[in-house]
Formats: sequence, structure tokens, C-alpha cells
Amino acid sequence: MYQENYDDEEFVGNIDVVADSYANVDEIEDGAELDDDELLMQAQAGVQSIPEQIRNFLGHLHQNLKTAKVNDLSYNYENQFARLSDKYYAKSSWPEPQYVAALVGDDGLFLILYRELYYRHIYSRLHPSLETRFRSFENYCDLFNHILNSDGPTDLELPNQWLWDIVDEFIYQFQSFCTHRSRVNKRSADEISLLKENSQVWSTYSVLNVLYSLIQKSSICEQLRVAQQGGDVMEAAGEFGSRPLYKMLGYFSIVGLVRVHCMLGDYTLALQTLENIELGNSRALYTRVTACHVTVYYYVGFAYLMMGRYADATQTFVHILTFVSRTRQYQQRSHQFDSANKKAEQMYALLVIAVSLSPVRVDENIHTYLREKYADQQHKIQRGGEEAVNVISELYMFACPKFITPIAPNYDDVEATVVEPQAYQLRIFLREARLQLVVPTLRSFLKLYTTMDIERLSTFLEMDAAELRNQLMVYKQRCRQVKWVGGPDLLSGELVSTTDLEFALQEDMIFIAESRVGRRYADWFIRNANKVQDLVNSQENKQKSVIANTGKPQSEQAAVEA
Amino acid sequence: MASAVASSFVRLQSRPDEIHRLLTDVDRYNTQNAVLLEDYLARQCANPDPSNNHDLMANLALLKMYQFNPEMVDFDVIRRILAKALISPISSDFNLCLYLLSDEVCRDQSISKLLVLREYLERAQFGDFWKEMYGNIEEDEEEASVVDGIAGFDNGLRRLIVGEITGTYQTISATHVQDMVNLDEEAVLRLAKENGWTVNGNVISLPVKSDNEVKGSVISESIAFEQLTKILSAANDM
Repeated sequence: MYQENYDDEEFVGNIDVVADSYANVDEIEDGAELDDDELLMQAQAGVQSIPEQIRNFLGHLHQNLKTAKVNDLSYNYENQFARLSDKYYAKSSWPEPQYVAALVGDDGLFLILYRELYYRHIYSRLHPSLETRFRSFENYCDLFNHILNSDGPTDLELPNQWLWDIVDEFIYQFQSFCTHRSRVNKRSADEISLLKENSQVWSTYSVLNVLYSLIQKSSICEQLRVAQQGGDVMEAAGEFGSRPLYKMLGYFSIVGLVRVHCMLGDYTLALQTLENIELGNSRALYTRVTACHVTVYYYVGFAYLMMGRYADATQTFVHILTFVSRTRQYQQRSHQFDSANKKAEQMYALLVIAVSLSPVRVDENIHTYLREKYADQQHKIQRGGEEAVNVISELYMFACPKFITPIAPNYDDVEATVVEPQAYQLRIFLREARLQLVVPTLRSFLKLYTTMDIERLSTFLEMDAAELRNQLMVYKQRCRQVKWVGGPDLLSGELVSTTDLEFALQEDMIFIAESRVGRRYADWFIRNANKVQDLVNSQENKQKSVIANTGKPQSEQAAVEA
Repeated sequence: MASAVASSFVRLQSRPDEIHRLLTDVDRYNTQNAVLLEDYLARQCANPDPSNNHDLMANLALLKMYQFNPEMVDFDVIRRILAKALISPISSDFNLCLYLLSDEVCRDQSISKLLVLREYLERAQFGDFWKEMYGNIEEDEEEASVVDGIAGFDNGLRRLIVGEITGTYQTISATHVQDMVNLDEEAVLRLAKENGWTVNGNVISLPVKSDNEVKGSVISESIAFEQLTKILSAANDM
């Protein structure tokens, strides 16, 4: 079913099969046979029950969508929707789409987008039933069919944030479904039969199919390649890809694909997928949506960590965490502040693992933060032993992405132990991490000497001399890592030594030398010069606002100052 | 340093176009291509030349196909993929394969034996490794070795171990080397000659390279231009 021909016809076919096969679900909805009058009355009552403020909001949203006012939509979506959700629907769902239909003259495309928001709200605030999960998938199929299978490009335009959220939510719901179905013993008999009959719904292939199709339709890979190597970007983009909607959806789908590959444990493919996206470029497209920016770095850093490329993981996390802490004041207003903050906290935890296993100096601010919040954990990891492994496991479980099994479990075997990809990935990761623990432990001893006898060191470490010899070799081995040296290929790199401690054995004698870091004068001056500049700026602004407010009525001035 | 072997991800010269296209395309999900990848694996296994006989990316693509289609799983293929990764000079190759497997696959007898072998190897417990590898052959000759059908396995392994030794030692006793590479005195002398080591009685001197050199240094800071942008733009405002 996942053949090379990605033509539209086949895509339609797949989705139709899926949409038609929910015999069971449809019955639930229709219920008793009501006559037309009663239906009409029910609909009217439903519409009446929608608060006026919500009706106005939906009207504006509908208007702005039809007239493609992207900036207004941005405001509707990022500010109003979140605020109204808190005010009216903190613990319930938004109005039924069928009632909303009456307000917007049955505009099919608007209703698809409304349903996307409606289901997303249920996922974030309530517990989606299996039926809701199916319905939401069906709605995504409608949306992507509209975008991918119309004769020409659709005229729809949406803000970048909204487009990112659609792709992001699509993958989140997929992951959530995979976890849901894997708990076979918690599903009722009805649910099991529904799951069995609709094996296509939320299947890994269908999700990948959507992402790859969006990437292909938008020619985003070609666009990025041409942008990098020079040439006519518009020509590379083609009829669809030159529209912002397609371009951004294609781009976000690449990032989404990276996430799906990581969720499946395929870290090399995840990094390979990003081959046309240049990391570290401050004008790259991913910087347009903060959540996307953070997501890219989170998954790249995580993939490096799992590959045992700790130096690369550290560099990746430090880069994005520096960005997040610098822009925190601007983010606070965004409705995604909480989730960005949580991701940042997870990345600090992963960073603790990376820098503890492969000690390296990091940016001063990040270093200070780690010392304040994670000193205890870092200390425990350095001491080694089982406790270190426990600390690493805890940090990892807090910070890792949700893993999934790409195939459905055996629904007939209720007794079977639930497959836990989370635990499996952790165990494989710990195989390497355990070995890596040799590094901080040995390093802390070797640092103290320039020459040392094997026998003596082995008594310090309470270890057999022969085993110590082995561990010294493991240390050497573990300090050689492949490290990225720039360029579009994140997988490539050079084999470098990641330790500041060099040693060699002459039979039973260890000779040790340490590389020292010189004083960082320039760094100190730069940071303090910047601090002074910020201070001056804020004082100047304060003064300006005071001057601007003189002469205005007292009450207004007080309000401004407050 | 040896940057030639730095990556398992650059395209191997010996990788055919057909395989390369498959790996960089959605065609990698098409189960009909499994046989192509399996044939390619067989060719890697038959080739004793360590410089071009391991294509990790192709083998991972095959494991991924098994991950998506459990009914296709061939344990002998997985065994050979892991055995190849075991002697890869890049230590993370083995784990990258494991991430795509599952508990169920790891319970297989020869797979779990490979996991034990790997553990000895990564802990540099080479003596125990050889014992586990060949120790039981005499009692149980019926049992096929878990590295059957991998051309040049022992030699590939010795290359790895020799690499570890030369990275850590400047001088080492010959008896130690014998135990680590599982060879007798005479063979170790031959090995020393091949690698350009000097033998003096029971002590072997290894050439000093960057890995086993002991030389402290002072790292001085380097300032990137970007760090100065804020200061420069502020200076411009005045």
C-alpha cells in the first residue's frame, strides 16, 4: 500500500476507504428517527445555546477566513480563541459543529477548520473517546484531501502558527491513539471490535502518507535545495509550492517527520530528513514559529543523545536553551508559553545527562542555571554506580518523547503484557550511558595526578587491577565521538576527542596531562557591555514614557505607570 | 585523527545506485524491496574487506521494514546485521540497530548471545569475549556460531582491539596483547610487524600518535563575530 507512486488518485482512494468504513460510528450519531420539524427545533435550540460572544467570534473568524485576512486571523486564533476557551469552555467542548454550521451558512471548509479546533480542544482539556479519535482522524482526512487533491492550489490562507499547530496536533493525536490502542486490557469489547474493523484509521502508513504527500506537493525539498545552492526558487516551488500555505505545510511536515522517526526509534532517518534545513541559521523558516523552532532542536538534540553523540547533543540544547531564555520576556504573552517552557525544562534535563556523561564547558548562563537546579543530580551521576543510573533514568523518563509501536497489538490477547516502547528505548540508551559513566568517575581521580601506578589507583577505586586496565581503554574509547562540523548534513562529522584529560599507559604506569582553559576576558567584557547597554536602554525608555505622559490627566498617567 | 572512518552515514563507494535511491526515497517503505536489501546484506557479509563491507544505513532500512511488518521478520538476517555492527569501528552502530528492534526479538537465542558478546566487547573485557565466542565450541559442536557467514569476522574484530590498544598504551607487555587478541606468541610477533610495533623482549613499544600522546595545552577563547553584533550596533547608534 505504500508504493512509490504518490499520485493523488491513490491518496484519495486510501482516505475514502477509511472514511466509509465507520459503519458502527455513524449509527451512534443518528439515534432515533426524528421528523424534520423536531430536527429543526433541536437545531434552533442548539444554536440558541451558543453564547453571543462566541457567535460573534465565529462570525469574525468566518469572515476573515473568506477574505483571507491573515493578520486578523492570527489575532482571532492566537488570542481570542485561547481566551474564549478559558472563559466559556474550560471544562467542556466548544459548540457542536452541526450547530455552528447554521451560523456560517454550511461553509464546508470553515467547518473542517472549526472541527479541527473543536477536537483539538477536546484532546487538550477533556478525555477523547475512541469515537472522537476516529472522527478527528476523518476530519484531518477531509482537510488534507481539500489541500492535496483539488485541481489547482486552494485559496485558503492561514497564519503560520495555525499551520504549525495543525501538523503538530495531527502527530500528537496519532501518538495518543497508538498509546490508547496498545492498552488492550483497558478497552471494552465494543471498542476492540471498532479498532479491528478500522485498522486503517490512524495507521502509521496513513500518517506518513499525509506527511510525505504534503512535502511532495509543496516541492519544499527542491525549494530549500535551490535556496541553498542558488537558482530560481519560484521555478523550483511550482504552482503549489509558491503559495505560503503549501510551502509552510510542507516545511512543517519535514519537522513532523523528524518527530515521527524519533518516536519510532529511527534516529538516523530523523537526522537524514533534515538534510535540507540548515541548523543555526537565524533566518531559517523554522524561526517563524517558536514552537517549531524549539521542536526542531529538541528532536535533533535527542537523536544525537541516543546516538551517543553527547557533544553534539550538548551543543544543540545549549543553542536553543540560550535562545529560549533570551526571548522569555516576549514569549510570556504567547498562549504557547507553558508548552515551550515545559519543553525547555525537558531539554535542561537532557542537557544534564549529556554534559554529565561527556563533561564539557557550556555557556555561562546555562551553566549557572544547571548548577542552581541540577547540582544534586550532576553530583550523583559523577559519583557513578547504580544511583547514577537511577538519576539518569529519572531525567530521561521526564524528558524523552513519547515512543510508539508502529503496528496494532494483538487485540485478541488481553493477557499479553503491554509492549512498552518507552522502557525498551531507555534500556538500550542505558547500555551506552552505563559505559559512559566510566568517564566522569575516572576523570575525577586522574585529574589529581600526573603519574599514577595502576595498582595504586585500583586500590583507590576498590577495583581489580585487570578491570581497571579495561576501564581505561573504555574511557579512551568513550572520549572519541563523532562531532558535527557544520554543513547541511547533520549525520556527518569528524571523529574528535571530547576530553580535556589526556593519558597513556607505559605498561603499569599511567601518565596524565590536562588541558586548561585560559581566562575568558573577551567573553566577560562582552557580557557586561551588553548588560550596561540594556540598563541604559531601559532607563531611557522609562524617561521617554514619563516625558510623553506629562500634561495628561492624573488617572491616565497612573494607569500607564502601573 | 582517523576521519576516514568517522561516519557510518556517508555513502559507501560500493553502494549500488539502486540501493542509494531506495534509501533516500519513500521507496524504503515498499516491502517488495526487502529482497533487494537482503541481497545487499548478503554481499556485505561475503566481502572480507573492512573498508567497504558495512553499510549501516541500508541495514537499518531493512530493520525498519521488519519493524513495520513483523510477519516479514527473518531472525537470521537480524543476526547478521548485528554481527556486522559488532565489528564496525563506529561504536554506536550496534545500538542504532537495537533501537529498531524490540524485547521480543532480543529474546531470540542467537540475538541474546550477540548482546552478551557486545557487552564484553564494549567493556573491553576481550579475554571473556573470546571465551564466550569460542569457549564452548568443543562441547557443543552442533551449535552454529552466531557469527557464521560473516567473512573476515575475526580479523575485523582484531583490528578493533588493536585500535583500542594503540589508543591507550605507549608500551605494553606482549602477554597482555596475546590475551586481548587471542593469538599465540608467534602470531602476535607477526601482528607487531604488520603494525610497525617495536618488540623488545616481552615489551612492545607502540608508535606515539595523537591518541596515546600525553601533552597538556591551554585552550584560549575564540570570539565569533556574532557575539559582537550587539555592541557594534549600539556603537553605531551613538
